Amino acid sequence: MTERCGAIVAHGGLAEGFLSALSRVAGPQENLWALSNEALSGEALTARLEELLDERAAGREVFLFADLDAGSCGLACRRLLEEGRVKAVFFGINLPVLIEFVFLQEQPLDRIIPLMLSKSRAALGVRP
Amino acid sequence: MTVVLFRVDERLIHGQVVVGWGRRLEAGRLVVVSDALAAAASEQEIYRTGLPKGIEADFWSEELAAARLPELMDSDARILVLTSDLATMWRLAVAGVPIHEVNVGGLHAASGRESVLPYVYLDPDDRQRVRDFEAAGVRVTAQDVPGAARVRLERVL
Repeated sequence: MTERCGAIVAHGGLAEGFLSALSRVAGPQENLWALSNEALSGEALTARLEELLDERAAGREVFLFADLDAGSCGLACRRLLEEGRVKAVFFGINLPVLIEFVFLQEQPLDRIIPLMLSKSRAALGVRP
Repeated sequence: MTVVLFRVDERLIHGQVVVGWGRRLEAGRLVVVSDALAAAASEQEIYRTGLPKGIEADFWSEELAAARLPELMDSDARILVLTSDLATMWRLAVAGVPIHEVNVGGLHAASGRESVLPYVYLDPDDRQRVRDFEAAGVRVTAQDVPGAARVRLERVL
């Protein structure tokens, strides 16, 4: 199976924060990277994301994780999806979807995407 | 129509605009004024795909915007007008669009630009546009998101 990797693209320090939190619960992640849109134009953010994938993702299946679909992060991710450089873009992400990404690596592509989505949705709730 | 904000922002439709300003001002329609985007249907689709329900986006050429914005001023929609640079917004004003205030969001670092605020970098032409607006009685303020400090750009040039 082709090895997978991913990038979290988010506002402010959120991507680094997600990665930090993920490392606390699932261990260090060598195949998942963080990118902030801080102080970057839309073009510059897309270019930075392309550079990141050029440097680290050759020959691998790439998943992208954006915080807001409507934001510049989601937009940059969609551009790479349009270019055919990534397999999927998840948006509105939470920690559970990243956990599933880590632990469902052995699942085939047509299984992992719906599984990640259903498990991350199920992890959001409210009590009482 | 009520134009609730005229905004200059390089990223055009993005989080600060859709979530920050859009929600706060209850905007239901974004009008992006860009000759390049008006002619790029696939690029428009990339922008539209991420929009939440209840917000629509139009991509108008400068010519179309200059013609339609004034005539739409009395409709019910709450509209946020976006350009990626000050020069485009200035041309709209010169063409007769009744702009009373310009909000400047992200204009990021680039060759020839100098920082006036952490999220606003201007080149000499941009500075002149700010002065032109102010001379015409149009206030130009920088404020990236609602609730942040609102800075009169003329005072920090």
